[in-house]
Amino acid sequence: MSAGWQRRARPLLGTLVEVGVPAQGGDDAVAAAFGAVAAVQAAMSRFDPASDVGRFHALSAGQGCTVRPATVSVLLAAAALQRESGGLFDITQGSAPDGWRLEGRTWWRLDATTRVDLGGIAKGFAVDRAVQALRRHGCAGGWVNAGGDLRAFGSAELPLQLRDEVQGGVRHFGCLADGAFATSRLPGGGHVSVAAPRALWADALTKVLAFSGDPGHPLLARLGARGFVH
Amino acid sequence: MRLLLTVATLAPATAFAVDYLNVEQAAKLMFPEAERFEARQIDLDAATLQKLDAQGVKARSARWPVLLAKAGSTTLGFVVTDEVIGKYELISYAVGIGSDGTLKSIEVLSYRESHGHEIRLPAWRRQFVGKTAASPLRLGEDIANISGATLSCQHVTDGVRRIVAVLDQARRRGLL
Repeated sequence: MSAGWQRRARPLLGTLVEVGVPAQGGDDAVAAAFGAVAAVQAAMSRFDPASDVGRFHALSAGQGCTVRPATVSVLLAAAALQRESGGLFDITQGSAPDGWRLEGRTWWRLDATTRVDLGGIAKGFAVDRAVQALRRHGCAGGWVNAGGDLRAFGSAELPLQLRDEVQGGVRHFGCLADGAFATSRLPGGGHVSVAAPRALWADALTKVLAFSGDPGHPLLARLGARGFVH
Repeated sequence: MRLLLTVATLAPATAFAVDYLNVEQAAKLMFPEAERFEARQIDLDAATLQKLDAQGVKARSARWPVLLAKAGSTTLGFVVTDEVIGKYELISYAVGIGSDGTLKSIEVLSYRESHGHEIRLPAWRRQFVGKTAASPLRLGEDIANISGATLSCQHVTDGVRRIVAVLDQARRRGLL
């Protein structure tokens, strides 16, 4: 895997983000990819009061705030996923599923109890943005892995390793090319994983799979995804 | 999308390790304009350690090796390396700090995913104790099972905070 590739890693999004590019890929491409991830973190971290999520939580019921274009993209995807999954995907995590609305770039807080966490979708989105940045810089292949939300493109083939949380170490699961993969741990033990064309879908669909328990959920097929319960 | 699954998913777990950069490579990335890097050691005295303690920073060690990024006689900044231990992993990383004390960049140097039996060794355990209780864990949405690091990033963040504080004290006390 590492022959012909250069790999770099930085702590971002509350995890370790790794970027892989061809050995001659250049530091500019890597810097742009990390920059793209940092921009998503600045926009959507729930720990940062200056992020769009932080500003949303400072609103009273009935108030709205203007959000960054990247946040608009994620919220549109979140709304679509919530609708299409019959509420299994929910960025309010049950606190108030109908407690927010997006109109243009204005994000309305409809209910004072609405607490939003974009952690179940923004990491995948950040990976997609970082991959875009690598492509814009002319990388013929590469990958981005945000603590398990990963995507490979072009000539890169990525071995999938699952951490053994009982014994430690990692186990080989498979190999991914030209697509995205994400894993979530189930509260009662075990894991769900989703392979999808885009990291945003893979990331978000692990939640749909975790709550439905159904790898044959029609939403996965519609988005070109495959689910695994393991 | 091309996905090829391994048939034997019950294969034994193996250790997982990546080397990203060595210290010299990281230092050059952080300070491309530097002509050379000088090794220096900071020795923190008891008063400084107390001061750090009062800031809520456990210095962990009184001795800190530092690389000074130099252009001519000018010090452009500092590079400090450190290691942190998570539940399953050992991460070594470098922190670049400007001559004014501000954090410039963080680069991960290497990542080691260990076997469970390794981290049950007492030495590993001692260093791990107390780290999760104090830090606001962001586990729920950050579960990372694939060559990822769920806990370790918090440890890196804590480590970076410690290095910035130590360097700040060292600068104020003329140790650099």
